[in-house]
Amino acid sequence: MQIVPNGKARAPVIAGSPILSCTGLKKVYRMGDVDVRALDGVSFELRAGEFLVLLGVSGSGKSTLLNILGGLDVPSDGRVFFGTEELTLAGEDELTAYRRHHVGFVFQFYNLIPSLTARENVALVTEIADDPLDPEEALGLVGLGERLDHFPSQLSGGEQQRVAIARAIAKRPSVLLCDEPTGALDFRTGILVLEVLERVNHELGTATAVITHNAPIAAVADRVVTLSDGRIQESHQNTARARAAELRW
Amino acid sequence: MWISALNRKLLREAWRLRGQIVTISIVLASGMICFISMRGTYASLAVSKHEYYDRYRFADVFARAERVPESVARRIEALPGVAVVETRVAEEVSLPIDGMERPAYGRLLSLPSTRPPATNALYLRRGRYPEAGKSDEIVLLDSFAEAHGLVPGHRVPVVVNGKRRSLRVVGIALSPEFVYAIRPGALVDDPKRHAVLWMERSALASAFQLDGAFNDVTLRLAPGASEQGVRVAVDRILARYGGIGSIGRKDQVSNRILSQELDQLGVLSTMIPAVFLGVTAFLVNLVLGRMIRLQRPEIATLKAIGYSNREVGGHYLGLVTVVLVPACVVGLAGGFFLGRVVLGLYGRTFRFPTLEFQLTPGLMIMAVVVSAIAALGGALGAVRAAVRLPPAEAMQPPAPARYRRSLFERLGLDVLFGPGGMMVARELTRRPFRTLLSSFGIAGAVSLLILSHFALDSLLGYFEGTFRREQRQDLAVVFARPVAPRVVGQLARLPGVVTAEGIRAVPVRIVNEHRSRASVIMGLPAEHTLRRLIARGGAEVTIPDDGVVLTKTLADVLGLRIGDRPEIEVREGDRRTVRPVVVGFVEDSIGLSIYARAGLLAELEGDLGATSSALLRVDAREVEQVEAALRRSPSIIDISDAAGDMQRLLDMNSSIMNVWTVISIALSGGIVFGVVYNNARIGLAAWARELASLRVLGFNIREISAILLASQAIEVALAVPAGLWLGRVWAEWFMSSMDPETFRWAVVVAPRTYLLSAVVTVLAAMVSALWVRRNLDTLDLVAVLKARE
Repeated sequence: MQIVPNGKARAPVIAGSPILSCTGLKKVYRMGDVDVRALDGVSFELRAGEFLVLLGVSGSGKSTLLNILGGLDVPSDGRVFFGTEELTLAGEDELTAYRRHHVGFVFQFYNLIPSLTARENVALVTEIADDPLDPEEALGLVGLGERLDHFPSQLSGGEQQRVAIARAIAKRPSVLLCDEPTGALDFRTGILVLEVLERVNHELGTATAVITHNAPIAAVADRVVTLSDGRIQESHQNTARARAAELRW
Repeated sequence: MWISALNRKLLREAWRLRGQIVTISIVLASGMICFISMRGTYASLAVSKHEYYDRYRFADVFARAERVPESVARRIEALPGVAVVETRVAEEVSLPIDGMERPAYGRLLSLPSTRPPATNALYLRRGRYPEAGKSDEIVLLDSFAEAHGLVPGHRVPVVVNGKRRSLRVVGIALSPEFVYAIRPGALVDDPKRHAVLWMERSALASAFQLDGAFNDVTLRLAPGASEQGVRVAVDRILARYGGIGSIGRKDQVSNRILSQELDQLGVLSTMIPAVFLGVTAFLVNLVLGRMIRLQRPEIATLKAIGYSNREVGGHYLGLVTVVLVPACVVGLAGGFFLGRVVLGLYGRTFRFPTLEFQLTPGLMIMAVVVSAIAALGGALGAVRAAVRLPPAEAMQPPAPARYRRSLFERLGLDVLFGPGGMMVARELTRRPFRTLLSSFGIAGAVSLLILSHFALDSLLGYFEGTFRREQRQDLAVVFARPVAPRVVGQLARLPGVVTAEGIRAVPVRIVNEHRSRASVIMGLPAEHTLRRLIARGGAEVTIPDDGVVLTKTLADVLGLRIGDRPEIEVREGDRRTVRPVVVGFVEDSIGLSIYARAGLLAELEGDLGATSSALLRVDAREVEQVEAALRRSPSIIDISDAAGDMQRLLDMNSSIMNVWTVISIALSGGIVFGVVYNNARIGLAAWARELASLRVLGFNIREISAILLASQAIEVALAVPAGLWLGRVWAEWFMSSMDPETFRWAVVVAPRTYLLSAVVTVLAAMVSALWVRRNLDTLDLVAVLKARE
């Protein structure tokens, strides 16, 4: 596997093999005169096709972990691997290529470009990715086939988040990283978004990591990892995955 | 047409910022228009000059003498470094043209009988050369012919060596020697009163008893020859034939004025566009910086989904293209149009066979590159911030702006302002650099207004001050040859003449240590009231019998101080050398003159005191009769009233200045509008939430407008005095960059120019601010308060 392939190479997709892994991950921020340890020796892996929920309260280090796994940030110590490729040795260009070809991001506040329509927001990705879905197809997958030419300001919060998901999956990423994807949504809309993520995971087989502080969401995961004070406190496999539609909080 | 999503984003954002983009483009386009038109005019003139001089063999050295046997030409030819020698007969004539109150002054030059001149060839616009032996055929300078509507076949009256003759025009021509044609001693060109006539050599020589001799010689030098060396040798050869000293091309009147005009244009064509480009860079930085700060989350998203730093940077630099492309189109087209107009104006004064505005690819590329550098330079800092922003950090909202207690509060002045005033004060002091840059941009516009007016102010200042105090005559007459002092007495007795004073001009060389200059001693009578010498401060300088007074410029050039005794070598008669004491300086006069008592000159020349010109004070009611009497005298070659000349110069300049005033107001107003508009738009974007909150709290539109626009008002208030000062500094600098020996006088900026500059700036700022203020009327309180920045 290469991070910067001529576009076609993919991470190994043997079900259950680790696609993204890290060992001894530390991240220290300096705030004024104080060192803040956001991550303090995290070792963890995301497996191909897996739906993983990272659970933790605010400030537990989960966003930091996600940013590092997604190549948006670099750790102070420890190693991160995408397949067999070590991300911690990658330079700026390689990290960009990694994000461009292999990772899909979904953010709490959607982060759509307000001056672009739903279709164009997705096209932002499809224009630079190799072998992407059509923007229309990606938006169809998230149930927005009818809202292609609407600007973000003309969409509800849930619709905006679904556009963001369509944008994330349109490149057919190996990994989908979602940072509090339901955090800004009401319960009903949140369920709708989780259903979309569930469907993407199921139909495209994309390894998905969702971070949330909302414990009931953990029920939809294959595996749940709990973070606290920058450390993994617990990791367990759900014996049976609940369906998003069954969730209540 | 397929446009990428990223470019769609760019275009939509450009559309949203269209007001700001248009104003920046206008400022940039104005800079390009100035650059293209002025640089293009400069290049066109310079190229025309070079080609004209080259093709028509403009001479390198010019020398005059009284009467030199033709055989001497061979000695000059043999001098090392001399390539071509052309001897000729040159005389002064007057042309009493019907319907003109004063005769025109003419220079009559000989043309070789059988071949074109080896130097200073003519460009025949119409007609032909005079035929050999035809003593009444002449070729006429085109500006004079045009001013009088003369064409080949017409006859003109010419007083040649005291005899009135009627000469037939056979050709109309231009000459590299007379690109700018001006009478000796005149302040301004007057095509109607300055003629150059060319006549076949033998006809002219016999009219002045110069058969087999010449009194004027021009040379072209071999490549690499030393002009100074040749001139020294030529002067030595001609000394015994009454040579008055040669001059180089640099001092040839027409070339000197043309070169000086080119120098000025060269300086201005750099200075003026620089202001526009600087302001453009600032505005681009302002707008793009703001946009990038607001788009942190979008930058983070672009990076998160896989766009590289280069792509993100390129995306924001794309906005520069949106500014640049229309500015270039308008700038190139406008520059070409204005350049042709400006060059056309120059073409009326400076006569070339062909003068075409040259918009060369090089000039266009340079204009675009310089503009792009200015715009990109402005963008670079802002874009670098976007590129450097780590994606994880960009996800977080920016830290709230840090405000501190401003100086006003520490001084306890906050009670005077109230909370609204404090918002303004803290905003200004939070971004002192931006406040200063805004003010600096506006100050640049103010200074452009000063810069475009000071020349006329200075000219007027010189005219109203020094000139009127120094020159008190109504008329000045120049004699064809020096006359006896009694002629002045005769003039004084003419009915209507109140006072007549003779002046004697003697060509000299003045030397101080290693420095020397060709100059003229003006001999003034012991009792002189019409020509006064005024020192700085207005005191009149009196000349003792053995002393001389110099213009300050001459003293500076030679490094002379009062009490020094420079060597003055007379270049006619017995060529005596004296060392008179320097007793004073005439501070504000133009030129390199020396003043002495007529007695000293008579002594130097060894005669009883001849007079070369006379100044007359005339009863205002009898000016016409006096002029009529003077016209009848064949010994008088030129009659002028310097004050009238000066007035014409001012009239001519003021009509050009009126056009320039309109242009400069438009250009400067554009800059002020652009700066204030962009600042106010950004202020509005940044403060929309606060202002909406204030509205909710019960502030009215007027009150929140005051808060929004107060910072612009303060910036303008800082900029106006700074700009007035800057304009003055620029004017001084501009004047000091000019050759002091030919063109320099005290810089004057009239109060009305200061006033105009301030008023134009304030008005442009007000219009711009009110334009932005309209947005407050439609401020959607609910939407603004709900919006997440």
